[in-house]
Amino acid sequence: MISLLLLVFLVQLTTQLFSSVGVATTNEIAWILYNKLPTKTSQSVQEQTKLQREILRMKKEMNAVSAQDEFARWARLRRQHDDVVAKYENISSSLSSTKTSFDRTVALLRWIATTGLRFLLQTYYQREPMFWIPAGWLPYYVEWILSFPRAPLGSVSIQVWSMACSSIITLVGEALVGVWSLATSKKSGMQSKGSARRAQAYGPSSSARQAAAKKDQ
Amino acid sequence: MEDDIMEPSLESIVNQKTLRWIFVGGKGGVGKTTTSCSLAIQLAKHRKSVLLISTDPAHNLSDAFNQKFGKDARLVEGFDNLSAMEIDPNGSIQDLLAAGGDGTEDAMAGLGGMGNMMQDLAFSIPGVDEAMSFAEVLKQVKSLSYEVIIFDTAPTGHTLRFLQFPTVMEKALAKLSQLSTQFGPMLNSVLGARGGLPGGQNLDDLLAKMESLRETIAEVNQQFKDPDMTTFVCVCIAEFLSLYETERMIQELTSYNIDTHSIVVNQLLFPAADNHCEQCNARRKMQKKYLDQYEELYGDDFNLVRMPLLVEEVRGKEKLEKFSELLVKPYQPPQ
Repeated sequence: MISLLLLVFLVQLTTQLFSSVGVATTNEIAWILYNKLPTKTSQSVQEQTKLQREILRMKKEMNAVSAQDEFARWARLRRQHDDVVAKYENISSSLSSTKTSFDRTVALLRWIATTGLRFLLQTYYQREPMFWIPAGWLPYYVEWILSFPRAPLGSVSIQVWSMACSSIITLVGEALVGVWSLATSKKSGMQSKGSARRAQAYGPSSSARQAAAKKDQ
Repeated sequence: MEDDIMEPSLESIVNQKTLRWIFVGGKGGVGKTTTSCSLAIQLAKHRKSVLLISTDPAHNLSDAFNQKFGKDARLVEGFDNLSAMEIDPNGSIQDLLAAGGDGTEDAMAGLGGMGNMMQDLAFSIPGVDEAMSFAEVLKQVKSLSYEVIIFDTAPTGHTLRFLQFPTVMEKALAKLSQLSTQFGPMLNSVLGARGGLPGGQNLDDLLAKMESLRETIAEVNQQFKDPDMTTFVCVCIAEFLSLYETERMIQELTSYNIDTHSIVVNQLLFPAADNHCEQCNARRKMQKKYLDQYEELYGDDFNLVRMPLLVEEVRGKEKLEKFSELLVKPYQPPQ
């Protein structure tokens, strides 16, 4: 049973993580990781970056050559450059279509790993008690709510458990973010205070100016 | 190419008997018309019949030959196998429609109430006026049997659009005929129920006309891409912008698969060594610089023809004939 409890918690945690990281970022990360593997796509991605560098190099080279004075050299560079650009555009367009289908696959996988898995677990274990509450601790209606919808009375259902997990994860996450921002803003706040004091020493402070502006209004 | 060295003359073009279409193009004011007239004169010596067509809105053929030319092919005075005509790519559409006669007019009338709307719609497409005049030319040229046809084209931008046109038109018409085979029967049954098209025309006739137009264009398109039948002569002068435009034009022609292996560098100064004209010597020095660039860039794969700047305007039959000699026999500068 403990493992099921943990599993539901983990599913909620992944969902929460994905939603806080964001869809676009997840896709981007997955794409980068996918291209680390020795696939055909990763080869063309490498080719693309190589061509990109080549184009930049050629642009630099072309800028270094004066078209007026050495047209023949410049024109040859230009022809090479045009060739490479055409190749690059070809690869880019094929890659972007690959990326679109890849994004779709990633979205599907993400759905299966989070929402899909949660639905599956909740349907499969809907009659299973997660754990029992000692008898008589809670009134009947609370017990009824906790066992909602199908778990036996006096136990906690999987739905209620996953809801509890998600709210705890959200709460803890927000608390962490709050503490983090408090810690970082305190540091920067002290810095800004210091600069304000310095500004006061040399002239009318910004806060004084703000106050004046308010008075005008 | 039988030999590796490219001759500095257009003799290869004159001797290439399979050629059917020759385009002469370049920036404005570099001497396209003079070159195309000269080339036509040279070709007339070796072929049965030659047609020179100007598609430049600023018609210069009349000026060059001192003779008025119009929309119909007319023999050039003093020749019995060289004809010339001027078509106006910006000519009014209504004019063309009227000249097109049964084909276009009936097609428009056949569409009934929709005709006018379709007409307005169709002629708001950019480049369609040129396309129409091009179709007109093709129709005429196909009916007349000339051995070789020389196009004196408008400055660069125009030319490339003109050459691109058959490809575009062929694609559009292929799509149209595909659609019509799919929906034709349905349309026909609808139209049949209300008694056919208003002009007393048959839908099938209309489609057949379109199909034949498509075939003509496909044929010409294929010929344009055949280096044995079509070539492009680039005319330029030894200056930076002209050099730049020539390079751009050659790259674009290559992308359309149109053969080009001749460049005519016009208006070169060959002052005598002991002359005291400061301007001439300075100009000569500048031209030398760009001519060297031309040689370096194109010397290996192109017939690079150097034409001198003459002290008089090249006008009239005699002067043109004299000038045209220089296209096949390289000019010997005075020492």
